[in-house]
Amino acid sequence: MTAELVFQQALNGLSFGALLFILASGLSLVFGMMDVVNLAHGAFYMLGAYVALSVVQSTGSFWLAMLAAPLALGVLGFVLEPLLLRRLRARHLDQVLLTIGVSLVIVDVIGQVWGREVRSLSAPAGLDGSVTLIGGVYPVYRLFVIAFGVALAAAMAVVYRRTRIGMLIRAGVQDAEMLGALGVDTNRLFASTFATGAALAGLAGVIAAPVFGVQPGMDTDPGLLYSLVVVVVGGLGTLSGAVAGSLLVGPADTFGKVLFQDVALAVIFAIVALVLLLKPTGLLGRIRIAR
Amino acid sequence: MRAALVAAAAAAVVTFPYWSRPWASPFATTLLRDALILAIFALSLDLLVGRAGMPSLGHAAFFGAGAYAAGIAGQRFATDQLPVTLGAAALVGAALALLIGVLVVRSEGIFFLMLTLALAQIVFAIAFQWTAVTGGSNGLSGVGRPMLAAVDFSAPDLMYVLVAVTFVLAVLVLWGLARSPYGRALTGVRENERRMRALGYDTARLRLSAFVIAGTIAGIAGALSAYSTRFVSAQDAGLGNSVRAFVTVLVGGAGTLGGPIVGSALVSLIERVVPSLLPTDLRIADAILGIVFIGFVLFARQGMVGLGHAALVRVSRR
Amino acid sequence: MGGFGKNELAAKRGYTYRLTRRQFLVATSAAALAACGPAAVTPGASPSASPGKELKIGQLLPFTGVYAELGNSMRRATELYLKLNDQKLANRPVKLVYGDDENKTPTGIQITQKFIDQDQVDVMMGVVPTPLAYGIRNAVHAAKLIFIDTNAGGNALTRDTTDCKPACKSPYIFRASFSSYQISYPIGDYVSAKGTKEFYLAYANYGFGTESAADFTTGLKKNGGNVTGNVAPPLANPDFAPFVTQIKNQPTKNVYSFFSGADAIGFIKSWNSLGLPAAGYRMYGAGFLTEQDVLKEVKDLANGAITSLFWAVELDNAENKKFVADFQKAYLLLPDVFAVQQYDGMRALDEALKKLGGDTSDKDKLVKALEDVSFKSPRGDFTFDKSTHNPIQDIYIREVKTQNGQTVNTITDKIAKVTDPGK
Repeated sequence: MTAELVFQQALNGLSFGALLFILASGLSLVFGMMDVVNLAHGAFYMLGAYVALSVVQSTGSFWLAMLAAPLALGVLGFVLEPLLLRRLRARHLDQVLLTIGVSLVIVDVIGQVWGREVRSLSAPAGLDGSVTLIGGVYPVYRLFVIAFGVALAAAMAVVYRRTRIGMLIRAGVQDAEMLGALGVDTNRLFASTFATGAALAGLAGVIAAPVFGVQPGMDTDPGLLYSLVVVVVGGLGTLSGAVAGSLLVGPADTFGKVLFQDVALAVIFAIVALVLLLKPTGLLGRIRIAR
Repeated sequence: MRAALVAAAAAAVVTFPYWSRPWASPFATTLLRDALILAIFALSLDLLVGRAGMPSLGHAAFFGAGAYAAGIAGQRFATDQLPVTLGAAALVGAALALLIGVLVVRSEGIFFLMLTLALAQIVFAIAFQWTAVTGGSNGLSGVGRPMLAAVDFSAPDLMYVLVAVTFVLAVLVLWGLARSPYGRALTGVRENERRMRALGYDTARLRLSAFVIAGTIAGIAGALSAYSTRFVSAQDAGLGNSVRAFVTVLVGGAGTLGGPIVGSALVSLIERVVPSLLPTDLRIADAILGIVFIGFVLFARQGMVGLGHAALVRVSRR
Repeated sequence: MGGFGKNELAAKRGYTYRLTRRQFLVATSAAALAACGPAAVTPGASPSASPGKELKIGQLLPFTGVYAELGNSMRRATELYLKLNDQKLANRPVKLVYGDDENKTPTGIQITQKFIDQDQVDVMMGVVPTPLAYGIRNAVHAAKLIFIDTNAGGNALTRDTTDCKPACKSPYIFRASFSSYQISYPIGDYVSAKGTKEFYLAYANYGFGTESAADFTTGLKKNGGNVTGNVAPPLANPDFAPFVTQIKNQPTKNVYSFFSGADAIGFIKSWNSLGLPAAGYRMYGAGFLTEQDVLKEVKDLANGAITSLFWAVELDNAENKKFVADFQKAYLLLPDVFAVQQYDGMRALDEALKKLGGDTSDKDKLVKALEDVSFKSPRGDFTFDKSTHNPIQDIYIREVKTQNGQTVNTITDKIAKVTDPGK
């Protein structure tokens, strides 16, 4: 294990972590606000990647896809919330079950419309080269992913702490009912929150595509499973939780896969169990998971 | 009178391959066999979801563990005598359920759901990567033929009978449990745990015991599945399998004995029969299942049994 | 917390179990009726065995996931063969029944059972992944269903093994593709005999990958070569960067790999984006690493890779030239080895049927007829080894080059008539 190797694997781990942040932040947001674990989050991530595939195929522009996919997913989320979830307001467990059904439908439709082969998306021109860093050559795109993740986290932090909408979100995470009592249109707020969560998942799908490919099964692995791991470990409902979780899980998974080839996957979930048992709120969360 | 009817139905189910042979293909037996295995699995999950109010999305961990146990026990102990292999499956299912149960039993609702999901994923991951023991991503092939003394149950019809008899036994056991004071205590825990505790019940222990019983039965279902396909794959312990069982329970009707049974019939129909009716390029069985599931969660939360009951009540009111 | 099975029936004493008994009856009759659905739909027909009657062939192929492109290619080859032969094999019109195993063994086993019980196919073909081939071996053997494996190269499928674990040969199983020994051992022997003795291994961590790595190592050791280490990502691995980084940070520059389909594409792209060629690393592999399905995606990124296979699109014989031309004309694509395997499988069946006048009623006669086939295939002379039912074929050493605007495998050497040892 040379220093160069560690550095390169650390970069791999950080780029994975950045992706996880973009993905998991949406899940965390929706849970924090609406008390719903959106089990269709992985399907949204997958749909974002496939939409990007089509956009790039027809327009050739990756950047356009980066706009179109989150937009499309946002619209989908904005429609699904009142259509399905709102009917079960206050029945949180049943809402979670609903999202299972949504996931089944979306994944099958994707397979039917786009086919079931393994596809891939190339990094956009300009970002598809490699640069020489300590330890050798490293793909530019992965550095872009790290930078993008940091920028997004910073932007979200600003919105969260300095804007009105951020204040509404923070208040909603604390106590959504009270917000309603104070005259805020919770219907609109919830729909927007769900839409944002979906959009973030879609964005993650686009950004992840050049690295992880676009293929059947991506809704569960890495989609849903890894976002669940991140939010449970980092803490549900908080931005800092999503950041902490991704920074931990990304590198842990990368080093784990290489060092403990055979048990890497088990190790990740063992970390989940450990955190849940020792610190049930997750590292930086506010909601207790177990008594 | 009712007992006679039930006995007759049970006999009909167990002897299905024989009286249906003139007009049904052997494939019908295979389909029903798989539906019954799903029913046993779903019935065990319903003990948690419906009766004890513990929504587990990780139940396949025990199904998979039982499947591997039966296959591995057969190979390691060089025997495929059912008491040994089914016993191993039940034991492993129970032990794993105890291990996981201790960790999850103190949480509720959505958190319980997520915890069970995560812990089941560990089991899946171990199954998927421990190539030396489970065959890893290749799966465990060469699962032996189930034997009882000198009788080889691997013939399709006999395999079906084995599954059907186990199904009937499982129904009887769970029916007995439901009627017993234990079953009523579980229902009490689901409806108002605080009151149960105030009444002096050790609710944590009640839930844990339900978890272990459910895990044991799921393990046996897994063993039957292993013998049916002569193969065990890590997916048997995976999220998809857990979701499938959950959907089955809910769509059929949680908290009733008939619910998981009717649910398995419907889910098997959607998964196996519907695709053969559609053009081969149109593969939307999962989407159909998803839509049906959404429909039930929104409009018929008590499942098909609930719908049936409501219809019966309306009929009897006339 | 929302109502979880809040069955208000439970509140009324004794009401629950009365209803559930009734439901039990309803449920079991419903289940029985449900199972009768397919029974009613499919008449219990006896398989047609006489000439002129339809020949049903079950094709178990992947159309989902990492091997979907292979499945598509094999479907194209099947349909091309039938198109060129008037939709017939010998004098029997052919009906194809496709099943998508989704690269999942249990799904493939289920479809095999359906082929046997419901569709009652006369012959079965296909199967890409080795674990699936192993998984269905017993079912196919027990049903005496002739199965022509047109890809899965797991050694055990055509060998005598102890206790038939993980599988063993069967008189009813033929292989029109290769055994992993045939494409891994000869190249190990060849490169080490030529002086390149030290290798690092990278392979997909599943049946075929591990077999290929092991056979290659045996070939190396025969001439005093050795393996310095390995990295084994899981099958259908989405991100190769961590693994390729490991390769880059060890000193052995010659790397033998086994990956196929989408994995091969991911591996080669990572190999390039992390700068391995410039750092002096050389890629070797089993032929699938650089087959046409991969080359059409990675193009010149694989240039210089040395692989072994029993075929290359550039192979210069009349049959291959015709096959490549026909395939290109029909699909505007160059064929890959999977298409060749499937095409040869159809041809073998065709030749055997011609000898029998199209009569498939006697399984043992059909087995014997298949054993005796001998024809010129795009890969050269094609015959089955009579004791193993595995093909006896020449293995070519190939190198990836871009010529005339196409990236292809060019042939640099040949190892003649390689047979699988059978044990």
